[in-house]
Amino acid sequence: MTNKEVYKIWAPSGCDWTDWVRPVPFIGINEHLNYHEVIDYTIPKINYIKEKMNDTALIIDTQGVNSIKEGIALAKLGYRPIPIFNGTNPPINTKSTTNNLIIEPLLIWGALELKNIKIENDASPVFLLDSNRLNRYKSSRGIFDNSWDIYPQDIPSKEYLVKKGIKKIIIRGEKLNSDLSKVLYKYQKDIKILFTDGFDDPKEIKIPKLKETN
Amino acid sequence: MKLVPIPSDKFEDYRTDAIFDCYKWDPQFLDSNTLARYVLVITEDECQEIAKLTEALDLETREAENFLNNHLKLAKPLRLPKKIYNELKMMNNYDENRHIRLMRYDFHPTIEDTWAVSEVNSDVPGGFAEASLLPELAIKTLNNKNYYSINFGDILAHTLARKIKEKGTIMFVHCTSYSDDRQVMQYIGDKMESLGFKSLYGAVDHLKFENKEAISVLDGYEGKVDCIFRFTPLEWLKDIKPKTWGGYFNTITPSCNHPIAIFAQTKRFPLIWENLEKNGIKLDAWKRLLPDTIEVKKAKDKKDYIYKPACGRVGEKIAIKEACSNDEYKEILKDVKRHPNNYLAQKKFISRPLKGINNEEFHVCLGSYTVDGRHAGFYARISEKNRIDSDAKDIPVVIERSKKND
Repeated sequence: MTNKEVYKIWAPSGCDWTDWVRPVPFIGINEHLNYHEVIDYTIPKINYIKEKMNDTALIIDTQGVNSIKEGIALAKLGYRPIPIFNGTNPPINTKSTTNNLIIEPLLIWGALELKNIKIENDASPVFLLDSNRLNRYKSSRGIFDNSWDIYPQDIPSKEYLVKKGIKKIIIRGEKLNSDLSKVLYKYQKDIKILFTDGFDDPKEIKIPKLKETN
Repeated sequence: MKLVPIPSDKFEDYRTDAIFDCYKWDPQFLDSNTLARYVLVITEDECQEIAKLTEALDLETREAENFLNNHLKLAKPLRLPKKIYNELKMMNNYDENRHIRLMRYDFHPTIEDTWAVSEVNSDVPGGFAEASLLPELAIKTLNNKNYYSINFGDILAHTLARKIKEKGTIMFVHCTSYSDDRQVMQYIGDKMESLGFKSLYGAVDHLKFENKEAISVLDGYEGKVDCIFRFTPLEWLKDIKPKTWGGYFNTITPSCNHPIAIFAQTKRFPLIWENLEKNGIKLDAWKRLLPDTIEVKKAKDKKDYIYKPACGRVGEKIAIKEACSNDEYKEILKDVKRHPNNYLAQKKFISRPLKGINNEEFHVCLGSYTVDGRHAGFYARISEKNRIDSDAKDIPVVIERSKKND
């Protein structure tokens, strides 16, 4: 499959939310890139929700590989997975802070899975993030910093979500990361924010105001 | 100039091709598509007129910045960041023949059927692929042989090639965490690779300087570089302040842009024109095209003046009442009051909107590039508001052949 074909499977025309699929990790995909032998492609079982809820959007903020697999699991429940990975790759042979490259074979695998899953055009979204994006440690100056943050412009506005009937956002991650907190802080006035570590049932949380650093 | 719609049945393919073939990696911003559903068609006469005006502005800008570089005291009212003062003195070895000077001037059609220029993007203008590949895609999509475009990337790449050692190495300095910066760098980097050069992608601290020459410390690519192409704005660079940042100011490695760009980048540049003219610097084109610009305190009792931040980008924090939400407008005015020296007041021009197919109105900002003084193409954005900011959409610019040339 070409990069355009893989992208169009994740972002089919005429469906809600697909305009938000970030093209960045699809750009590097080429026909020579295929499955990664070492990656476990088992689709996980979702314990924290039982069925699709039309008034609920999800944000998966786990390691990119697991985020995509969980996105496919949720697609089987009827959600529309929307990858919003936004990290670039370093020059060849340059050490970098973040492994964004590993996303690419998973997106190909996910596209092949999605081809066989029927998702309604107006299905609720599950936004896929990579928690590794915040790996910023540089052991030396020469390392390429390709860590990245999620910003308000990367997801639909609160007003848009409300207009589409979204009343709850479930964040699934190991913890609530600071960049996501900043984005969602203003959402909680009109949308209930819940958090789950993937094992326990989602619980409502209040996001405290964080100081702007930019 | 007019707006020609992309046929709605072709728009999805146009968007996908823009993403994958035209380096448009940021097609969505919040709830809006960043690609306009129109093409901006200008006449050959308009193209020639803007090209001529752009080159006149550019000549004046370069003369002014060269003069200021040798007379730093005159630059004081610009109120450049204090952190940068010592480094400015290091620029006295600046030789414009060694470096590559890239700028973009923002033109707006007005209701008086004239052009107004709102600013020059003097330091790190972007929009490279949108000004090169997107118009070609638009012409292909519209399938109209009467249209042609200027490929900005070709002009920039060949100018760079003339000033850099054959098969030399170029470091594309940008904020490596931002994919929207990388898309700009990747486009011109790939172009330079196709001409036989080596393109490296790194951050400001991936360069150090020895004997005023730039050396890469990027992992795996350590060694001398033959050109610095910087996309990290100077005012960010001063905040990041890598250990060897002073080297950017006096380097003899060809740079695009050299930090001399700071003088015209600040929107307070017009506030020193009077002094520059007293010293023989001509600013006639600027004075004809830029609306009256004064200190904030002098605008107190004047009507129809707007406030602009000295270091603003992408229309941020420009106080145009009808283009801002109430909260945003109040917030900006509060900041203007608190920090008047960080702003300027400018007489508001009335933009002449263009009509879409359903009579909807769009305001236009037509960016016109120069590379080393020569006109090099167009990058345009349109918006339903009269402030061209992050809500505006990228629109390809094509030129319609005039019948007299048939």
